[in-house]
Amino acid sequence: MSVPLKCSLCAEVATVHLSQVVGGKVTKVHLCEACAGKGGAADPAVFQLADALNAPGPAAELTCPRCGFTDVDFRKRGRLGCPECWETFGGALSPLLAKVQHEPAHVGRAPVGVAPAGQLRQRLVAARAALAAAVAAEDYEQAARLRDEVARLEAALNPA
Amino acid sequence: MSVQEILADDHDPDRASGAQAVVLSTRIRLARNLAGQPFPGWAKAPQRQEIAERCIAALEALPRFRRGHVLRMSQQADLDRAVLVERHLVSKELAAGQAGAAVISRDQTCSVMVNEEDHLRVQVLRPGWHLRGTWNLAEQLDDALAGALPLAFSDRLGYLTACPTNVGTGLRASAMVHLPGLCLAGQMDKVTRALNQDGLAVRGWLGEGTEAAGNIFQVSNQQTLGLSEDDILKHLGYWIKHLVEQEWNARRKLALDEGEKFVDRLARSFGVLRHARLLSSSEAMNMLSHLRLACDLGCLPEGLRDQVDRLLIEGQPAHVQVRHGSPLDSDGRDLRRAAIMREALRAFPEVGAPTL
Repeated sequence: MSVPLKCSLCAEVATVHLSQVVGGKVTKVHLCEACAGKGGAADPAVFQLADALNAPGPAAELTCPRCGFTDVDFRKRGRLGCPECWETFGGALSPLLAKVQHEPAHVGRAPVGVAPAGQLRQRLVAARAALAAAVAAEDYEQAARLRDEVARLEAALNPA
Repeated sequence: MSVQEILADDHDPDRASGAQAVVLSTRIRLARNLAGQPFPGWAKAPQRQEIAERCIAALEALPRFRRGHVLRMSQQADLDRAVLVERHLVSKELAAGQAGAAVISRDQTCSVMVNEEDHLRVQVLRPGWHLRGTWNLAEQLDDALAGALPLAFSDRLGYLTACPTNVGTGLRASAMVHLPGLCLAGQMDKVTRALNQDGLAVRGWLGEGTEAAGNIFQVSNQQTLGLSEDDILKHLGYWIKHLVEQEWNARRKLALDEGEKFVDRLARSFGVLRHARLLSSSEAMNMLSHLRLACDLGCLPEGLRDQVDRLLIEGQPAHVQVRHGSPLDSDGRDLRRAAIMREALRAFPEVGAPTL
């Protein structure tokens, strides 16, 4: 959409864009994959994305059957081609998601009319943690209640 | 509907009275896409156009956008697009392309960018600090949208987006904060590091990659997957509350420790704005930041803060040119900007001692 920016260090097309605030001044750096991998900016958190993009992914070419987007395209752009790409590249993207996101599964809202699995999943995570705590505290009455709750939520999430 | 009408409709009482001392505005952004359609960056031009028209038609039919504005970027003049960016109604990226559009509610609180990085970027922007209220509006709009268009959603990954940094909730919650105290005290680096380490991004006035002129920063969540909307809002809310406390501590300490020197600093900025013949955008923003601080601390009447906030926008390059009526070069803008400031500050009283 916008004009591709050139890498701040060489003439390649920049795919990694970094902003840094130092002394109240924001500096922006545009890097190509090669230069981003060599590091140089001080903020390690911002560089996680660059590292992840550079990590050697599966060598095999993946192509989205719906839109023709490939893993090579992703390496160039850092963006996917269509919603179905998430199916195609989901596995290959796991290490990246692990670095830039909190947890690998959605625990938030769902569109109107779609079962809010995310919210069930969040309750399941909370129930499992509470169960572990109850067992550790030897509160077996509470643990039994929580075990049933966990089973109910698991069944709701995996009806099969 | 045109950008001129957006500019003319500038006297919404909510927008004027909502300003609070540290948080200039609260924003919620939701990234959404149509199921089964290529993302804007990968779609071919005709597909992009078809998607845009489909989204616009659905949005126009929502009650929230009744009698609102539909602005197709391809039909807007360069200056008008820049004005929309300066008002935070569209992003620089949307304004730079031809395929995008913005649908804006009549009160300018809700806007949806069409064909930015994602098909739909729902945005609710309110003056001052109103995280829950802003979220509630965004949630209602999101529900209405889901009723009108089939959204790309996966049970496991949530709302599917073009970039992996938005997948899941697609939620970016942010506060625009004015931190002159922490900046003057030299603590901004430390604060930024602490926020970064706890998953919050700190950016400049116009978002990613922009200068932090006027001691104004945008603080937002970075992670969107594996956290619920409520988690994200609570986390941001916790840090903004903390940031506001720290900012006030820094302001009080500066005012107490520096005494007359501190008031002198604010008064000098007032003097520059009141009398300068040439003012660059960043100089004007930095001086206005001091004026805003003077209003917060009682060195100037608090009621003048809204005027200062308006000048922060009016002094932006595209706004200066639109007000002038034609494009200006950099020197011409600086001349016009200085005239705008002189005129606006004519009725301001002298900068006095703080009333802390």
